[in-house]
Amino acid sequence: MIHIVYMSRAVRPLSDQDLQELLDQCRRDNAARDVTGVLFYSHGNIAQLIEGEAEVLEPLFDVISRDGRHSNVVKLVDKPITERSFADWSMAFHPLEPGGFEALQGFLLPQHLPPPPSSLSIADAMLVDLVKLAVFGADATPAAPEPEHA
Amino acid sequence: MREQQLRDILGHMPAGVATLQGQELRYGFVNEAMRAVLGAAVEEGDAVAEHPGTIPADLLEVMRQVYDAGRPYVAKAYSLPLPATDGGPSTPRYFDIALEPVREGNGPVSGLLLFAVDVTVQEEARQRAHHLSIETRRLDTRLRVLTETVPQITFTVDAAGKFEYVSPQWYYFTGQPPTADLNAIWPLLIHPDDRLRVLYQADTARTSGVGWSYEYRLRRHDGQYRWMLSRALPELHAPDQAVFWHGALTEVHDQRELADALRRGEAELRFLADSIPELIWTATAEGFIDYYNHYTGEYSGLTKEELGPTGWINLLEPSEQAGAARRWVQSIATGQPYEGLFRMRRHDGRYRWHIIRARQLTDERGPRWFGTCTDVDDQYRLREVLQTQYDELARTNRDLDTFVYTASHDLKQPVLNLRGLFDELRRTATFNDPEEGEIIGMVDEALGQLDATLQDLAATVQEQRGLSAPVEALDLRSVADEVLLGLRAQVQESEATVSLDFAAAPTLTYGRANLRSILHNLLSNALKFADPARPLHLQVRSFLSEAGQPVLTVQDNGLGMELPGRPAPVFQPFARQHPHIAGAGVGMYLVQRIVASRGGHLEVSSTVGEGTTFTIHWFED
Repeated sequence: MIHIVYMSRAVRPLSDQDLQELLDQCRRDNAARDVTGVLFYSHGNIAQLIEGEAEVLEPLFDVISRDGRHSNVVKLVDKPITERSFADWSMAFHPLEPGGFEALQGFLLPQHLPPPPSSLSIADAMLVDLVKLAVFGADATPAAPEPEHA
Repeated sequence: MREQQLRDILGHMPAGVATLQGQELRYGFVNEAMRAVLGAAVEEGDAVAEHPGTIPADLLEVMRQVYDAGRPYVAKAYSLPLPATDGGPSTPRYFDIALEPVREGNGPVSGLLLFAVDVTVQEEARQRAHHLSIETRRLDTRLRVLTETVPQITFTVDAAGKFEYVSPQWYYFTGQPPTADLNAIWPLLIHPDDRLRVLYQADTARTSGVGWSYEYRLRRHDGQYRWMLSRALPELHAPDQAVFWHGALTEVHDQRELADALRRGEAELRFLADSIPELIWTATAEGFIDYYNHYTGEYSGLTKEELGPTGWINLLEPSEQAGAARRWVQSIATGQPYEGLFRMRRHDGRYRWHIIRARQLTDERGPRWFGTCTDVDDQYRLREVLQTQYDELARTNRDLDTFVYTASHDLKQPVLNLRGLFDELRRTATFNDPEEGEIIGMVDEALGQLDATLQDLAATVQEQRGLSAPVEALDLRSVADEVLLGLRAQVQESEATVSLDFAAAPTLTYGRANLRSILHNLLSNALKFADPARPLHLQVRSFLSEAGQPVLTVQDNGLGMELPGRPAPVFQPFARQHPHIAGAGVGMYLVQRIVASRGGHLEVSSTVGEGTTFTIHWFED
């Protein structure tokens, strides 16, 4: 099993509907291929961590990097892991209308993101933290985990 | 019948046909089409001059002249303003009008045959073409002005590589005369080092029908070679048949020089960074390491790929990783410099102390981070050793001072006795030899010197160490805490637990330096003689005796010692219970001396392998 982390820029800003469709698509497609992970989006910044079997993930990443909806795809990490850290596919972004998203399964507001799970190595947890910081900016990344989500 | 048929045919012809008869040009036969052209309703026998309809005066005049001259005439694309059928404004229509004189046999001209063929569509097309050609000429002129004013040299090359066109700038730039043979001269003006490459690249591009973009040096009129960017795109006449290449040459010399200088500068900096035996790295604005210098690989034994954008954290001592990561994320979020002292794993698995520092550089290229990890292991360990040695020396020094003080104090009494005895001797004994009197004087003098020296010694040490400081009410806990703070390294090392219980007698009226010296000696002794088989437990307790005098006990579970069988042993200087453990051997002697000098006494009970208890009776009951 491996995981891949990449960052990219959306070609055009994604609407709430685009994001919801993306979330649905990710959950549906990836469940079928036994791929899990997390996706961050804010103001055109995209970051994604995907985890699964190498023979599934590598072609999947090829498809993702050729997707016309984003550009400047930079792969940060591609390495073997022993266990999954994001068993339930999820996604975090700043929706324009937060009301409709609160109840959506797999969706989190950036400020409600839990700290990276302890199953990640410290180097990878730091990578996820840095990616989160790069996507959402300093405001949405509390220095200490909030107690109610810890 | 035949004539009727002919009339029908003429009547339905799309062209207008009419006959005009006699000198007055009266209408004869007028077909439908001609009636539409004439517009007005004309009757056979009407004179054209009286019912001209749409026929303007000049045409009428020409008709008359043709009639008189008897020579046919054709007016091409003649404009007739036909009234619009729906009553709108009349639109000009164009006709080829043929005037043919009619003769009866070989007689004189008796009339005119008038044909009018509508050529409006053709005429309009012609006019459009005309306008287009004017517009094309205008655009062409504009393009020429533009190509000849822009700073770039523009050119057109055909499929064979021959220059079709080059803008005048080429001549200005190269200084070549306008008569120069472009195709022969141009290659010669390219820098010899670039020539073959340029010719090959251009040839390859032409053969495969694609555009090109390359840089080369071209000789300027002053003989200097300047870097030029040549870009060209093919003009395709069929999907894959390029006929011409149009392009431009832009002088990029200064940019190129600047870029070269930058590249050189960057290469030099990188070389410098790679030559320094220190871990150097750079990171993106997001905090991902994008460069590790050569030494980082050498030190860690890992490649850049193995280290990855955040892998440096794996080099740190595991217990320090989480904190270091948290602080790095925080630095990235705030832009604050990063600094910390960490142990970093070397390729052989050994950890060495490093100072990791990183600072953010912000310029027009956006923020970037520059970091170093400086090996301070030797300094760090040396400092630790020095600190231990310093502590040891300071303690020994203090002990020796106290020893000198107590020794001088102890020697005072014998000297005093000696002096008394000597005086007595001098008074009672008789000396016959005059030289003996001299010796007596010398002994007297020596005794005086000894006394003064002892006084001075005591005074000096007292002054320095404050041993003679007046007594004051001391808080036992605060003094004990102070002493333990000085011993924290030893406490940590032996993993000792120290319990202090001063509740029963919290204060003691004593000399501060004396109390500290006593506590220091008792506690450091206990720490020193801990039993390696079990963690040390030290209990310090203060209470009042039955007589109401303060007592202090220091109990440990250390090695214990053999006692000569007396509850209040006399500790001798330099006598050491545990010769295998470091020490000057004066500690307990001093404690005993101090306690005794202040009017108290020291008791000890000890069992080998179980521990020792010291009891200080500060004052005699």
